[in-house]
Amino acid sequence: MAVAKDKSVTGTTAPSRGRFVNTGNGPTFQVIDIDHKDYAAVIDPDTAFWSLVRREELADFLAGDLPAAYAKKKERFAREMEQLRFGLKPSAVYFNPTERCNMNCTYCYIPEKMRHHGRHMSEKKLLTALGILKGYFQRTLPKGSVPQVIFHGAEPLLNRKALFAGIEAYGKDFRFGIQTNATLLDDEAVRFLRDRQVSIGLSLDAPTARIADRTRKNWEGKGSFDQVLAAMDRLEGYEGWSVICTVTRENLQHLSRLVDFFHARRVPTCLMNILRCTLPPSRGLKPGDAEAARRFLAALDRTYELYQETGRRLPVGNFANILLAIIAPAARRLMCDISPCGGGRCFVALAPDGDLFPCSEFIGMNRFRGGNLFKDDISAVLQSEPFRLVTGRKVEQIEPCGRCAIRHFCGSPCPAEAHEMNGGMNRTGAFCEFYEEQVRYAFRVIADKKVDAYLWEGWDKGLKATFDIK
Amino acid sequence: MEKKQEKKKQAREKEEVIAYRKGCKAEGTGLSHYILMDRKEK
Repeated sequence: MAVAKDKSVTGTTAPSRGRFVNTGNGPTFQVIDIDHKDYAAVIDPDTAFWSLVRREELADFLAGDLPAAYAKKKERFAREMEQLRFGLKPSAVYFNPTERCNMNCTYCYIPEKMRHHGRHMSEKKLLTALGILKGYFQRTLPKGSVPQVIFHGAEPLLNRKALFAGIEAYGKDFRFGIQTNATLLDDEAVRFLRDRQVSIGLSLDAPTARIADRTRKNWEGKGSFDQVLAAMDRLEGYEGWSVICTVTRENLQHLSRLVDFFHARRVPTCLMNILRCTLPPSRGLKPGDAEAARRFLAALDRTYELYQETGRRLPVGNFANILLAIIAPAARRLMCDISPCGGGRCFVALAPDGDLFPCSEFIGMNRFRGGNLFKDDISAVLQSEPFRLVTGRKVEQIEPCGRCAIRHFCGSPCPAEAHEMNGGMNRTGAFCEFYEEQVRYAFRVIADKKVDAYLWEGWDKGLKATFDIK
Repeated sequence: MEKKQEKKKQAREKEEVIAYRKGCKAEGTGLSHYILMDRKEK
């Protein structure tokens, strides 16, 4: 897709030389308080350009050299954001090899009927699906790019034989990952996945069984805590695994302790994802926005303290992604916090019957079914009306996001929530202040020069400076 | 008075503006929030 030049962004719409901030073709800067004793942030929301300015220097800043230096780069940064937001091609598939799950977690976004009585994808179909995807990516991705297939659920290991056959057959064509509840991750499975460098994500919500098992339990009501710990032991020493914690009102007050727990168990990275409120049952677990932010930031503080004490990081992936989105917008890895989100444009979700959805959040919602992998052309599916509903959701069209200074650091997630919970694609998702506070925290991290402590080792490898005031 | 001057001196020593940005080719490798994948090439 060609990158459109938006003249209102690139500043060529009026006969103004753009010499002055906030008038004519000059840069448009919004000032935000970041709760830092010395600095405030000055942001051009359209290009996601930012600077941290000493509070007492704000007035001088507007007439200083930096706006002029930025003006020379503005068009380049605008193009960078256009490419990131509208120019990418799908390169990942969330592949659901079964509808079934042996767990009945309170907040699952897959309808209960599917998880209880659903079907597996046959081994033959799974291999066919991978073959179709391989052909598609060979035609669409640049030479040398390796697409990603993440087996996802429901619980993918319930269909283990087919899944492992797929990994064995297509190990050279995809980078594989699996997100699992860990209840079936035995020694043999771990050995198989480790030997093939498959990324493994486990799910655990709290540092004790009493709390963790409140939300993550099987159909008989028994929790998975002990089984997850056993799997963590099996994965010790492997770099390619992570743990996802879903933040709900049940575990919110234990997040800092969970950081200690993960760190002690040498978890390489974790995600602390705020609950998605797409389906009604999960909304009963929704924590308050402000309280969620406070507890989450305290957990981030704890990762910093542990890094200071031990020299060992515990990157919290979803926050790291926001921090990276500020420092290096195009280097972000996760695409929930950008608008349009990655659903249907960077990745798609494949259901066991071959149906394609923009994201796993939409599985089971017929309105968002874009077509079928075995029957339809993938390119046509990407252009289908259900997919365009999601890929066409732009932060500029959402109130109050359209006038928000941090709109390209947050992205107003998530379309599934906005549509199902709040009544339309032009609505916000379930949380706002949670993201506001994360961005403010990220700017404080930058101001205090603590960035390295929150990102993974070698995070800036391959990145080039495109602006530096020094 | 001395304290005030010291504070001013410290303020001067601290950077007035922090502004940097890094870039790379957006390769189209983007995921949802469900799993972390290493970017290493095979």
